[in-house]
Amino acid sequence: MSTKQEDLIRYEDGNLYCELADIWIDPSKPIKRALITHAHFDHFTFGCEEYISTRETAILLQERVGNNLKIKTFEYGEEFKINGISISFHPSGHILGSSQIRFIFAEEKWLISGDFKLQKDETCKQYEIVKTDYLISECTFGLPIFKWDETIKVANNISKWITNSPEKTSLLFCYSLGKAQRLLNEMSKTNFKGNIYSHGSIYKMNNCYKELGINIKETIKIENKNIDELKGSLILLPPSLSKGSYLKNFKNIQTAFASGWMSIRALRKRSGYDKGFPISDHADWDGILEVVKKSKAKNVFFHHGDSESLSKYLIEKESINVLFFGK
Amino acid sequence: MSLKKFSELFGDLDSINSTNNKIEVLKSYFLSNEPINNSWAIYLLTGKSSKRFISGRYLKNLFSQIYEYPQWLIDECYLKVGDSAEVITLLLKNKTTSRNKKLSNISLNELLSKTIPELSKLDEEDKNLKIKNLWETLPEDNHLIFNKILTGTFRVGVSIGLITKSISKLINIDEEIISHRLMGNFKPSIDSYEFLINKKINLQELNSKPFPFLLANNIEDKIFKHSINDFQFEWKYDGIRMQLIKRSGNVSLWTRGQELVNESFPELVEKISHIKDDFVLDGELLVWDFDEQIALDFSLLQKRINRKSPTRSIQIKYPIIFIAYDLLEINGRDVREIKLENRRIELEKYFSKWQNKTENNISDIFKICALIYPADWSDVLNYKEKSRENNTEGLIIKKKTSIYASGRKKGIWWKYKVDPMQLDAVLIYAKGGSGRRAGLYTDYSFALWKDQELIKFASAYSGLTNIEIKELDKWIRKNTIEKFGPVRSLKPEMVFEISFEKIQISKRHKSGIAVRFPRITKWRKDKKIIDADSLENAYELMKKIS
Repeated sequence: MSTKQEDLIRYEDGNLYCELADIWIDPSKPIKRALITHAHFDHFTFGCEEYISTRETAILLQERVGNNLKIKTFEYGEEFKINGISISFHPSGHILGSSQIRFIFAEEKWLISGDFKLQKDETCKQYEIVKTDYLISECTFGLPIFKWDETIKVANNISKWITNSPEKTSLLFCYSLGKAQRLLNEMSKTNFKGNIYSHGSIYKMNNCYKELGINIKETIKIENKNIDELKGSLILLPPSLSKGSYLKNFKNIQTAFASGWMSIRALRKRSGYDKGFPISDHADWDGILEVVKKSKAKNVFFHHGDSESLSKYLIEKESINVLFFGK
Repeated sequence: MSLKKFSELFGDLDSINSTNNKIEVLKSYFLSNEPINNSWAIYLLTGKSSKRFISGRYLKNLFSQIYEYPQWLIDECYLKVGDSAEVITLLLKNKTTSRNKKLSNISLNELLSKTIPELSKLDEEDKNLKIKNLWETLPEDNHLIFNKILTGTFRVGVSIGLITKSISKLINIDEEIISHRLMGNFKPSIDSYEFLINKKINLQELNSKPFPFLLANNIEDKIFKHSINDFQFEWKYDGIRMQLIKRSGNVSLWTRGQELVNESFPELVEKISHIKDDFVLDGELLVWDFDEQIALDFSLLQKRINRKSPTRSIQIKYPIIFIAYDLLEINGRDVREIKLENRRIELEKYFSKWQNKTENNISDIFKICALIYPADWSDVLNYKEKSRENNTEGLIIKKKTSIYASGRKKGIWWKYKVDPMQLDAVLIYAKGGSGRRAGLYTDYSFALWKDQELIKFASAYSGLTNIEIKELDKWIRKNTIEKFGPVRSLKPEMVFEISFEKIQISKRHKSGIAVRFPRITKWRKDKKIIDADSLENAYELMKKIS
């Protein structure tokens, strides 16, 4: 079964669209009105006339792209109406400010999960179970081979990785918004007592988190540093710097990438990093199943990921009605 | 000493890129573990064990059965991961996180010498139960090692050379000696490890073992600047490189893969045993056309190599010959440090003595390689181009003043291979890769034109860069016509230059031809599919060379 023209939310040019409210969710092209689930750039595009998001997301976006964005903000759980449709944001546990978005119209509930995770993360609000009739969920890691370890276990492994090579400079690549701050928060619980440096793009986000009241470990901005001082330290860098000449700024390095994909050996080997730490801000297989079940949704859609296996599994094993977006 | 330590070693070796660091990690592992476990570790790391106790398919079925998991879902996971042992390891994480059974602390030795061998004696039901029990009692970090050993897919980025280096550093003895000690059947035991790390060198023990092989490098332009008289030229045969050893009356035949293959070639062993001297020869084993005096195709040799105790009729049908290149030891005297040109003189001298003095005729199974004498470097090129005529792959060029070193030493031997044959073909199918290439479409099939139709003629896996593989993978996903399991049929649009070594008639293939070692040598983005070659072009190529 696939979505119909009269559905409250449908897929239009590769984007989620609510026609009755004339509003798009995380659109990839400039339109009139956009709901933004969180401040990652693959969920944001310039040039929309109006943006609506949570307060935290708005602050992070303005920090990243400048203050001249017109953003209307709401708190989590606060309902607002557009063309008679009731809309609200709910924590999705992905990064600071990230949200699920619920639509209610004529007693029919629709929930867009946004990017989400269930794992505990002190740098953002815990995922909130929201009941719905229709669920549109992401499924980035929609296979049962993805099962996340406890965050502290990964952090301890990172700590061990650094301290086992005290003569080296350890470069850990991670997304500058969300993942970096979560790692910093978690690293403060490990035995690692060395210096931590952040690349400018990460440093900026760290400050933003702190201003929003999130407790994260102090880092040193990596600028004009004497490279000999970096021995035995941890350096956080965005993945975009892993290839190219930037690494020539350091000597005697070891590199690692913090990402859910790193749980697969072939991907780890192919990534070109020395080591991979599997840690993700997306839900693993069990996480997706839990959300699907607890939402009590009678109809489920998936996007963002390879949804074939997950859909087939839910239909066959859990008798859940999985729908497909019509083109 | 628990399996955990070995799992950690595996993890470390898998994530360290620097050779020196790997050696350090290995050294400290050997220092902190008992001889018996070290012995097993070496056995596993050098790939001496490839015994498969159960197949990957069996493992997946078992998991599916025990945990009521749909088989298709496991297969989907496999496409992403590319290794059955790893898929099951990852899926087990989903099953055993909340277990409360007491964890076992099994040693590498116990696992390999007792637990796993005993598994194969059980009937299916007990075996399955036992594996389930092991899954549920082994610590999670050990699952990958356990599953990999079970399925005989234990491979890690450690070469035998690296093990040799670490042990050599550990006990301060030359790599050559260690490499010598590691050759052949390494049976894991306390004794074999103690022998390996013995600081005293006992020649007696080393008696039947071959020397490390010297390997040729690819041709380098700089050698053309030297006088042609500085080099010795030989044909590059396409057979099995071997050392033929006769010491104290015993003959042993060792492949470069360190396998003792006496049983596959009893007629050679028998003939050689009549020779009076002791020696070690480096050479090539071939199936030989005694009328034409040229080598026969490698595929015929394959019919011999895997067959132990071949019947007389097999021996006649596929007659073998050993062609000696080099003399490494004569009557107990190691001559590897002598210059090649002098070794050659000795080789010729002894060979003619053996031919004349041995009671049985040996020349129907044993000869020394003929040398080639090109006039100058352009003549070398002529010889190289002629090499297809006598079924060789090109030339081997050896520096006359060189000693017989070990490994792929630079500046001693070069291979000068004949240029491959090439055809431009159209990509029509792609299949998911495994191992390191899991999750990407990396196995390709190519077609040539026959009238208006594209006929599959070869499959190739190698030749593209990682960036090209990713780019092509993207294209494949967007241009799929149909999916059949892991295989996709594709819109005929992409043209590739395919190189190969040999082309011959084959009734088994729809195209009517078979090619050897096909590989991608260029992505011809400049060509349209109508520019691709036809089967007729392939037939012409075949005519040209025969």
